Amino acid sequence: MATLPKRIIKETERLVSDPVPGITASPSEENLRYFEVTIDGPSLSPYANGKFQLELYLPDDYPMCAPKVRFLTKIYHPNIDKLGRICLDVLKDNWSPALQIRTILLSIQALLGAPNPDDPLANDVAQDWKQDEQKAIQVAKEWTEKYAVQK
Amino acid sequence: MGNVSAKESRSRSSTFSSSNGIPPPSGDITGFITRSSIPRRYTTSTIGGGNSLGSSGSGGLLTGHSNSLLDFKKSKRQEEKDRIQEAHYQNLIVRYNENVDGGYLAPYGTYKSNLDYNTEVVRNFILNRQLSPFYTPLQDFDESWTQNELLIILNQLPLHAIDVAYSDLDEDAEDDIDNHKIHKSSNYYKRQEQKQKLKNLLLKIKNLQKEEDLRYLTDKQNNSTNEDSKNPHLSSNDLLLQLYGKPLECPICFLYYPANLNISRCCLQPICTECFVQIKRLDPHPPHDESSNTTNDNEGEEKEKVVLHTLISEAASCPYCASPDFGVTYDPPFNIFTGMGSKTKAGDYIRLKSKDDSDYESDDDDNDNEARNTISSPSTPSSTTSSAARRRSSLAANAPGVITIDMIRPDWEQRLSSARSKLERKAATATAIHASNLLLNGDEDNNGNRRRRQTESSVSGSSTNGSRRRGNSANSHLIHLQTVEDRMLEEALRLSIIDEEERKRKVEAEEKKKKPLQHSQQQEPQVTS
Repeated sequence: MATLPKRIIKETERLVSDPVPGITASPSEENLRYFEVTIDGPSLSPYANGKFQLELYLPDDYPMCAPKVRFLTKIYHPNIDKLGRICLDVLKDNWSPALQIRTILLSIQALLGAPNPDDPLANDVAQDWKQDEQKAIQVAKEWTEKYAVQK
Repeated sequence: MGNVSAKESRSRSSTFSSSNGIPPPSGDITGFITRSSIPRRYTTSTIGGGNSLGSSGSGGLLTGHSNSLLDFKKSKRQEEKDRIQEAHYQNLIVRYNENVDGGYLAPYGTYKSNLDYNTEVVRNFILNRQLSPFYTPLQDFDESWTQNELLIILNQLPLHAIDVAYSDLDEDAEDDIDNHKIHKSSNYYKRQEQKQKLKNLLLKIKNLQKEEDLRYLTDKQNNSTNEDSKNPHLSSNDLLLQLYGKPLECPICFLYYPANLNISRCCLQPICTECFVQIKRLDPHPPHDESSNTTNDNEGEEKEKVVLHTLISEAASCPYCASPDFGVTYDPPFNIFTGMGSKTKAGDYIRLKSKDDSDYESDDDDNDNEARNTISSPSTPSSTTSSAARRRSSLAANAPGVITIDMIRPDWEQRLSSARSKLERKAATATAIHASNLLLNGDEDNNGNRRRRQTESSVSGSSTNGSRRRGNSANSHLIHLQTVEDRMLEEALRLSIIDEEERKRKVEAEEKKKKPLQHSQQQEPQVTS
């Protein structure tokens, strides 16, 4: 923990100096491997207008293994479960060290725009999604309104 | 390695079949067994492990003599393993007199020290100029730096980032599941012993690296004060400037390296050797996309078949473009050929002066001869590819000159097969418990539901977290399961007692061995021949 790898320092610097639109990530003061993240819901999705809070942690082996990312804001999505865990290939087996915090957060934002109920993590949500997509989208909108829109 | 794990399987399966005394199967049960897919696994594993029943037994059965012979063979094997391990870590020490084109044969230490690539193979690739050597990276680079500034920075860099690479050594006592076990099996002591040994070895290696770094620094100091007797293995300023004048950033570690980086075979992206040796296959895993993700046990039976039978291992894919079977090629720099394999030493390198370097003056003009030597030497062996002829298209993984991940980690097949046999062993143990339970309470209502639940709880039993009840078992079969659990607890107790006995026996044997140590050393050649 003592020394932070150059890669993490540089990534953090670049995130600050050249931020991604709709995404913020700032390292915590006590632990520079821990990031507080917000992602704006994509405009044409049920999550539009929502600002979702996430936490991101860079494990010891980063960048050789994927960062750990979790939604803190409640969200109704077939690939995100009650605990905020995310089912996304690039966070698991398809992680590549050439990916970065920036790219991984963009992937998560894209996942919000394209839910995939065929590879679910939250089974109940996925079921709803498959049975009645319109209704599921409606619920997702309500949840977004309730939990993710700042008043 | 394989031998050791096989041994483990032996004692396990043998305890089950021999002392647990499975009664001869009744007709009803055998009918069931042949229908299910499990017994096949069981039989295969008894073929693998059963033949050794007589030779190793589960302790106590054998006479002292054959036992000590066995132990002797085992300790031989252990010695060999230790030797290989030591050689591996010795190879990870950066030694400045082992240099190739201004780089080294061991990594700088950007990543932690638990490097598991084959060091011998990689050293040879570097010596043959088939992989970029491990260069000392620059943490930052700014084009506005003057050559003098660059030299000052370069000369301050150590050979190896000891603090980062060996940081694990200090923060030991990591949360180890072993320490939470109530009963410590003999394997626990074995593992602790191994861990301690590795730690000592790493400490030793760390100290050696420290000494080497110290030597490097003092020699460098000597070089700068003492013009006459320069150490020829230290890179000359010319070489440093030639290498680091226009460095490239490795897209993975974000550090700056001399521009002669390895290039991915598929998408022509650069990667430093230190990152390259970090890339590996994923651990063996069950194949994807076969209902393995449903996680619900209403599809239990199908799941069992898919999950338990095969594990696969896929070649590492390119970190940049995800093409399968990642590999790189390397073009050595056309104007540098120093260090090992070359007649020119790193300290004797003098570069051709080009127009834009006019502010830099070589400080020893009397080395002109070597300079010419340097310039002419690139025409020798492997450096036929000049940077002018740089590759523009992708290459196949088996094309000549391509170094793949499997080449630097040739042990992947062994890993896969040991993972597979481990799985098989687990399954066999589960089946053994399962079968013995069935036989014991041979009540007739063998519907599929109960069967599945039993397998489940016996699997959890075999992984020694014993008598914890599964949440979904709280229905009409509660009493039945209770007896199953009791049986499993008994079994676990019995196994741990056997383990403990075996451990004691080993300790005794160890002590015995210490006394007649000289004696056994004399015997050594006889036994090995």
